[in-house]
Amino acid sequence: MKLVRMNMNMNMNMKTWTGIISLILAFLIPLIFGINQYLLTVLIIMLVFIIYSSAWNLLALSGQASLGHAAFFGIGGYVSAIVANTLGMPPIAAIPVGGLFAAFIGVLIGLTCIRMREWFLAMVTFGFAIIAHTITTELSWLTGGWDGIPAKRLIPVTITNYIMYEYYVILLIAVAVVVIIYLIAKSRVGLALQAIRENELEAKVMGINVIKYKLMAFAVSAFFTGIAGALEIHHFGYITPEVYGMDISFWPILYSISGGLFTVSGPILGTIVITFIWEVLRAFGLMYERFILIGVILVLIVIFLPKGLVSVPEKIKSRLQL
Amino acid sequence: MKMNKKYGILFAVLVVSVLLVFAASVGQSKEPGVEEIKIGIVAPLTGGASTTGTDMWQSAVLAAEQINAKGGVDVGGVYVPITLVKGDTETSRESGVKAVTKLITEDKVDLLIGGFSSGITYADQVVAAEHKVPFIITGASSPIVTRRTDIDTSYFFHHCPTTDDYPEATLLFVNEVVKPEIYERFNFSEDRPLRLGVLYQDSKYGEGVYEGIKKAIEKHNLNMEIVSAEKFKMSETDFRTVLTVIKESKPDVVYVAAFLNEQTLIVTQGRKDVGMNTIYLSVECNDDPDYYTGVGRWGEYSIQESRFSPYTIPSGPIHEAVEKFREDFKNRWGTSPSMMGASTYEGVYIAAEAIKNAGTLDKEKVRASLAELEMPQIVEVMQNGVINFSSDYRESKFALYMEQLIWNESVGETRPKIVWPDSIKETDFVLPDWYEPGSSPAATATATKATEECKTLWYFDEESLKCQQKEFCGMYMYKGLRTFETEEECKAALDKYLREKGEEKETPAPEEPGFEAFLTIASLLAIAYMVQRRRK
Amino acid sequence: MEPGVLIQILVWGLYAGCIYILLAIGLNLIFGVMKVVNFAHGELLMLGAYATFWIYTLSGVNPYLIIALAMIILGIIGVFIERLCFRPIKGTGKLNEIFLSLGLIYLFQNLAALLWTTDSRSIHSPYSNVSVSVGSVRLPLDYIIIILFTIVFLIAFQLFMKRTTIGRAMRATSQNRDAAALMGINVERMDMLSFALGSALAAAAGSLWLISGQIVDPYMGSIPAIKAFAVVIIGGLGSIPGAIVAGLTLGIAENVVPLFMQSFAGLLGVSMSFTAWKDTIAFFILIIVLVIRPTGIFGEKGE
Repeated sequence: MKLVRMNMNMNMNMKTWTGIISLILAFLIPLIFGINQYLLTVLIIMLVFIIYSSAWNLLALSGQASLGHAAFFGIGGYVSAIVANTLGMPPIAAIPVGGLFAAFIGVLIGLTCIRMREWFLAMVTFGFAIIAHTITTELSWLTGGWDGIPAKRLIPVTITNYIMYEYYVILLIAVAVVVIIYLIAKSRVGLALQAIRENELEAKVMGINVIKYKLMAFAVSAFFTGIAGALEIHHFGYITPEVYGMDISFWPILYSISGGLFTVSGPILGTIVITFIWEVLRAFGLMYERFILIGVILVLIVIFLPKGLVSVPEKIKSRLQL
Repeated sequence: MKMNKKYGILFAVLVVSVLLVFAASVGQSKEPGVEEIKIGIVAPLTGGASTTGTDMWQSAVLAAEQINAKGGVDVGGVYVPITLVKGDTETSRESGVKAVTKLITEDKVDLLIGGFSSGITYADQVVAAEHKVPFIITGASSPIVTRRTDIDTSYFFHHCPTTDDYPEATLLFVNEVVKPEIYERFNFSEDRPLRLGVLYQDSKYGEGVYEGIKKAIEKHNLNMEIVSAEKFKMSETDFRTVLTVIKESKPDVVYVAAFLNEQTLIVTQGRKDVGMNTIYLSVECNDDPDYYTGVGRWGEYSIQESRFSPYTIPSGPIHEAVEKFREDFKNRWGTSPSMMGASTYEGVYIAAEAIKNAGTLDKEKVRASLAELEMPQIVEVMQNGVINFSSDYRESKFALYMEQLIWNESVGETRPKIVWPDSIKETDFVLPDWYEPGSSPAATATATKATEECKTLWYFDEESLKCQQKEFCGMYMYKGLRTFETEEECKAALDKYLREKGEEKETPAPEEPGFEAFLTIASLLAIAYMVQRRRK
Repeated sequence: MEPGVLIQILVWGLYAGCIYILLAIGLNLIFGVMKVVNFAHGELLMLGAYATFWIYTLSGVNPYLIIALAMIILGIIGVFIERLCFRPIKGTGKLNEIFLSLGLIYLFQNLAALLWTTDSRSIHSPYSNVSVSVGSVRLPLDYIIIILFTIVFLIAFQLFMKRTTIGRAMRATSQNRDAAALMGINVERMDMLSFALGSALAAAAGSLWLISGQIVDPYMGSIPAIKAFAVVIIGGLGSIPGAIVAGLTLGIAENVVPLFMQSFAGLLGVSMSFTAWKDTIAFFILIIVLVIRPTGIFGEKGE
C-alpha cells in the first residue's frame, strides 16, 4: 500500500515537474528566439489546437466520440467575428460569446444524441458539421456566404510586436483551459463521466444522472471548442466556410489519440509531437507520404499503444523493471 | 525525489533540443542581399489541388531560369538573378498562413506570386498586407481578393480573370453568334428572350460566376432570360436529377460553372443519360487535356471559354511566344503547361519588369512600379495587347476567347477551334443538327426530323477492326466508332489507326496499377503483428 | 411538376439507391458477425472502382465481366484489413474501432493519390449509347443492367446466407457468438469471411458506380460511404431488409425532396435552389429517424 502510494506521488511529482518546466519554456520562447513571426504563428496555431483537442478529449472522456467537432469550431468563430464586427466589441470580449453560443448548440446536439450508441453518435455529429456548413453558406446576409467575413485581429497589428502579445494571450487562455479541464476531470464530474464511459447502465444504477452529465460534457466541450475556433479566426483575420472542413474535425481526434485518450496531458503532447512531425516532413518535401504516415501512425497507435504517447515512459519503466 | 528531478531535467533538455532543431529548421534565414531577388511562389503543392500547384511552380521556375540565363534583372544598373522559394499552402488555411508567414519573415522574399483558391488566399493575404509585400495573385478567381476593405489591398495585383470576367465574354459571344443562329433556324422572333439555364457549383467560385452572369446581362442589356438556376455541391458526381430539372425549364443554352471533373460529368450525363441536346457553355478554367479526354464524343459542339488552350493557339502577335513557351516547358518538365501555369509564368516576368522599372527592391517602390506597369502581353491575349493593372482594383484585363469542340478523327477526341472573336477565329460556330431549342412547338418538328435522318455509311470500331457498311439513324455514337462516306476513306483511316495502335503497344503502359505496394505494406504490417504477438 | 419528370427523377434515385444498398449490406454483414463498424468502407468502394478501371484499361474486356475479378481482389484486401487491423483491437472498445477506421481512411486515400495521382478517371461502357425511352422517361441500358445486377446480387446473397453451411454459420455467429463458438463454428474464420464478403460487395458497388459513367478519384469514397451508414442506421443495424428499404428510400428522397422543397419555397414566394442540399437532407433524415427511434426503423433492440 505504502509502495503504491509512493509510486503515485512520484508520478505526480514528475508530471508536475515536467508541466512547470514546459510552461516556463513556453513563456520563454519569444525571449530565447526573439520575435520570430513564423515560429510564433506555428506555435499559436498549435496552442489553438491544444485547446481544441483538449475540449474534444473531454467529450471523449464521457464515451462520446464526435466526428464533427468542426461544427463548434466554426460556430464559435463565426459568432465571435459577427459579434465583434456588429457590436464593435473587442475580440477578447467577443470570444466567450462565440464559445457560449457553441455551447448552446452543443447542448441541442447533445440532446439529440443522448440515447445513441457510439457509431450512431459519430455519424450524427459528422452530419451536424455538414448541416452547419450548409446553413452558414445559406445565411449569407449574416455570414457573408461563401465570401466569408473579415474578423478583427486579437491584438491590433499596429502595435509593435503584436504577435508576441497575441502569443502570450493565447498561451494564457490555453493554460487556463487546460487547468479547468484538469480540474473537471479530477472532480466528481470527471469520475462520473468516466463511469458513464465504462458502463452506462451501471452508472445509472449507481445513481449518476447520465443525461445531465453527458449534456454537461457536450456543453463544456463545445464551449472550449468554440473558443479555440474564435481564437483561430481572430488570429487569421478572416473567416470562410472552410472552417467546417472534414480535416478540421479529424485533427483533434488524431492529436488526442496519439497523445493519449482520456488524459489531460495526452492532447497537449499529441498536438506538439504531431505538429512537429508534420513540419519536419514538410521540410523534407514529402506530399502524400505525410498523410499516409499519419494514417499509419493512427492505426499503429490504436493497435499497439492504445494509451497513447503519454504511456511511453510507463511502458519503458515497466520493461526496465521486469 | 532524485529520480523526479532527473526526469524533469531530461525532459527539459529534450524539449530545448527539439525546439533548437525546430528553430534551426525554420530559422535558416539568409541576410537579405542585393545579390538576388527572392520571389515566393504561393501554391498548393500538396493536397486536393496539387496538380495545379505543381504546374504553377514549374512555370515559375521556367520563367526564372529564362530570365537568369540572360543575366538576371537589371536593378539600378546591376544584373541580379531571381531565386524562387516554395510556399506550399497544402490546400488548407492553416498551412497557407504558415507558408506565407514563413516566406515573408524567414525567407524574406521581396515579392509573392501565386495564390490558388480564393478561400485560402483570403486568409494568407492578411499576412502579406500586414508586412506590405507586393503579391501578384495568379490563381484566385474571386474579385474580392483585391476589393476587400478590412485590410490594405494596395499591395495586391490580380493577374487572373475573375468570376466577373468569365460570363461577360461568354454571354457576348452567345448574343452575337449563337442566338442569331438558333433564331434563324427555328424562326424565332427577335424580341423573344434567349432562354438561359444556369448550373453552378455551390461555392465561392460558382456563386461568383452566377452573379457575374446577372451583372453581364444587365450591363450589356442582353435580351436573355435565366429560366433556371440550380446549384450542386462541390465534387458532386451524380447530376442526373438537377439536369432533368434544368431540361424541364426548356433552356436554349446551358451555362455551367463547374470544375473540370464536374464539367465532364455534367456534359456527358446531360447528353447521354438525360438527353438534353443543347449547347453547353463551359468556364475558362476547364480548358485542359483531361477535359477533352473525359467528355469524349459527348462534348462535341459544346463551347469552351479560354485564355490559354492546350490544343490551339490564337493567331496574331503572341502565336510564336506561346509555341516557344510550350516547347520550353516540355523540354524542361516533360509535360504541357496549363492556364494557371501560364499566368504564373507571366507573373514572374511582370515582377521582373516591375523591379527593373523601380530600379530597386524596395517594396513600396516595387508596388508603385507595378501599379504603373505597362508591358506587352506575353503568352496570353490581353485587352489592347498590354498587361497593366487597372487603377481602381489593380486587375489586369484578359481578352478571353471562345472555342467550339470539334470532333477530330485522327486523335479520336474533340479538339477546340476558336470561333470568337472574329479577329482571331479559326472557323465559324456550328449549330449541330441534333440541337433542340427551348420552347417552340412549331420548330421541334424540324429538329426531330434532322436527328432522325438515316444515312448509309462505312464504319469501323474498336471491336471489329474492319470496314463495314451499315445504316445509321439519328445520333449514333460510342467510343472508338468512326464513320466515313466512302470505303476508301474508311480503309485509309483504319490503316492509320492500326499503325498508331501498334506503336502504342510497343511503348510500355505509362502508369502501372500499384496494388503491389498495398501488398507490400500489408505484409510489413503482418510481420509487425507477428513479432508483437510472439513477444507476448 | 409534370409526372414524367417525377418518374424520371425516381429512376435516377433508384439507381443511387442500388449503390447504397450494396454498400450498406456489406457494412451490415460485417456488423452482424463482428459487431464492428468499418468507417473506411468507402475506401473499399474506391479501391474496387480503381481495380475495375485498371483491369479495363489494361485488358479492354467488357467492364461488366471485370466486376467479379474486382470483387475477388477486394475480398483479399478485406481479409488483410480484418487480420491486421480489426482483429488485434477486438474487444478493446467501440471508440478504438472508429479511430482505427479513420486511420485507414487517411492511409488508403493518400496511398491511392500517391500511386495513381488525384486525376479523376472514367471509363465508357460499351452500352453507353443505348437507351430505352418509355414515354418521356429515358432509361439508359446501363441503368437497367445495374438495377438487374443489384437484384441478382441480393438474391444470390440471400441464398448464400440461407442455404449454404457457411452462410448458416455466419448467421449463427451474428446471432450469438459464444454459442456459435461452442457449437464448433470457427468464429474467427467467420469474421474473416464476413469482412471479405463485405469488401467484395463494396467492390461491386464501386465497379457499377464507375461503369454507370461516374468518376473515380482517391477521395470519392467518403460521401457514398457516409450515405451507406445512414442507410444502415435508418434501416437498423444488422437488418438486411431494412437496408434495402432504407437504401431505396434514401436514394429517392435525396433526389426528390430538394425539388419539393423548391416548389414549397416557390409557394412562399422564395426562389431558392435546394439541389445542393442532397447530403444535408440525408443527414436530416438520419437525425430525425434516430431521435424518434434510436435503434433505427427495423433495428433490433439496443444492447
